[in-house]
Amino acid sequence: MLSVPVETQILFAGILFFLGMIGLLVRRNLVFMLMSIEIMFNSAGLVFIIAARHWNQPDGQVMFIFILSVTAVEVAIGLALILQVYHHFKTLDVDAIHKLKDE
Amino acid sequence: MTETDFLSLSPFLILALAPIIIMIVISIYRNYEVVFGFSVLSIVAAIVSIVFILPVIPHSIAPLFLVDRYSLFFITIILISALLVIFLSYDYLKQLDGIREEYYIILFTSTLGASLLAVANHFILFFLGIETLTLSLYILIAFEKTKDSSIEAGIKYLVLASVSSAFLLFGMGLIYITFGSMQFSVLEIAIRHLNQLPLLFIFGVGMMLVGIGFKLALVPFHMWTPDVYQGAPAPVSSYIATVSKGAVMAVFIRFFFNIRGFDNQSIFIVISGIAVLSMFVGNLLAIQQKNIKRLLAYSSIANMGYLIIILLTGSDKGIQAAIFYLITYFITTIGAFGVISLLSTKELEAENIEEYRGLFWKKPWIAIVMTFCLLSLAGIPITAGFIAKFYLILEGMKAGLWILIFSMIINSVIGLYYYLRVITSMFSVANENLLPSVSVLGKVTLAFVTISILVLGVYPGWLIDFIVKYAIL
Repeated sequence: MLSVPVETQILFAGILFFLGMIGLLVRRNLVFMLMSIEIMFNSAGLVFIIAARHWNQPDGQVMFIFILSVTAVEVAIGLALILQVYHHFKTLDVDAIHKLKDE
Repeated sequence: MTETDFLSLSPFLILALAPIIIMIVISIYRNYEVVFGFSVLSIVAAIVSIVFILPVIPHSIAPLFLVDRYSLFFITIILISALLVIFLSYDYLKQLDGIREEYYIILFTSTLGASLLAVANHFILFFLGIETLTLSLYILIAFEKTKDSSIEAGIKYLVLASVSSAFLLFGMGLIYITFGSMQFSVLEIAIRHLNQLPLLFIFGVGMMLVGIGFKLALVPFHMWTPDVYQGAPAPVSSYIATVSKGAVMAVFIRFFFNIRGFDNQSIFIVISGIAVLSMFVGNLLAIQQKNIKRLLAYSSIANMGYLIIILLTGSDKGIQAAIFYLITYFITTIGAFGVISLLSTKELEAENIEEYRGLFWKKPWIAIVMTFCLLSLAGIPITAGFIAKFYLILEGMKAGLWILIFSMIINSVIGLYYYLRVITSMFSVANENLLPSVSVLGKVTLAFVTISILVLGVYPGWLIDFIVKYAIL
């Protein structure tokens, strides 16, 4: 079986994390920002899977299941809040939501 | 699980059971007073249950939990602060329309998350605790869903806190991949025999620092703080400033001392930089604020900057100074936000400094409470804040952290300016706005806060002895 070195696997997870962060910074729509955050969470989960495989332990995979459930809750609350934002501001553009700021 | 395991987890079981019972009660009979009374009782029960755990500690439930004196001390502080916040929320929420009983359910889940952080000895519990805490906070911040500002604060906190959690998680993953364990105590043993820390590990700690810096609102990760404090309901702001930050600090101190972060040059420099930046940015930005909630937010950034100095002392005495500082900071912050929440009405949040003009001539006692809280935050003698700062500076000097101590002293002077500005405005000539009447419960809570500030300021010896005896890592 072809084996990929751990460093490459971590690099892959790192690139994924970075892509998520770029998405977060570039996108101005709240739904897309939430999706970018999901990508960042999942790349972190990937690191745990890689580590679990590397050390032959189940711990990392247990952690991944916890991450999955927490992100599910996060998205549920996030979408509920986004609905409220649309209700109040009639837009999902983050640049339009700026009532709170330094005077 | 054995009987001892259940006994040592009893505060968490109570905190987890209470919201479920409240949910059932609400579905049968919705009554604000009943829910409030039950919440107070449950928190008191959780505090009392700690007394029964004392004989069985230190008790470790491998691999996740470690119940020792340090964690019990932090849980007690967290629970008492949560109780004070519940007292201050009573009047604030009572005047709101619509659904408000659910507030207490969410407050319980977030307190559960916060107290889990105090016993965390493993990355899984660290992550779950921090997420239970912040996920509940999203809802609490956006609780006043008729107000634009509340929703805006909620969504801002949601986006930034999730990003910080992702950073935290990635950092944990990198540390796990280097050492093959997520348990703090195992990491400590693995690190002890190394001359030089692996690069991947330092990278992981760095990413965790980003996540923790967000939660503690340290510069340069402080952007969310003033907006969220301003938009959130006043009792929730006090909750974020105290319980949330205290709990994150509890787990961070334990983790940092386990990995001996203060021995590593690069981590040392990064933390010193963050501390100095937090002090200066927090205090300098607070000067021009016209909104008292934003002012307190910037002051909390500066206070957290003072506090993380002790991470670098690397001594038990430093931890004790930090705990004393946290206790006084909790009391004063809850007092200051308590005044704001008691003076707020359904239509108007009492957040502009202009609204406090002449408060002393209209409500002398409330103004005196606010004065003591602000003086304590500024660190004036005979208030608790002075002793706390003195203790912190003393431990910092013992460890030879001269640059940090000097910048802390300079910043105390800058801080004095903006705290005194609020106080002078309270004592100047009154204007004609009407203030709501304050309930007995609110008065009792504020009286308790003020007396604690004075007692700790005049006679702090007993608390310091208590901390030295019980709060050892």
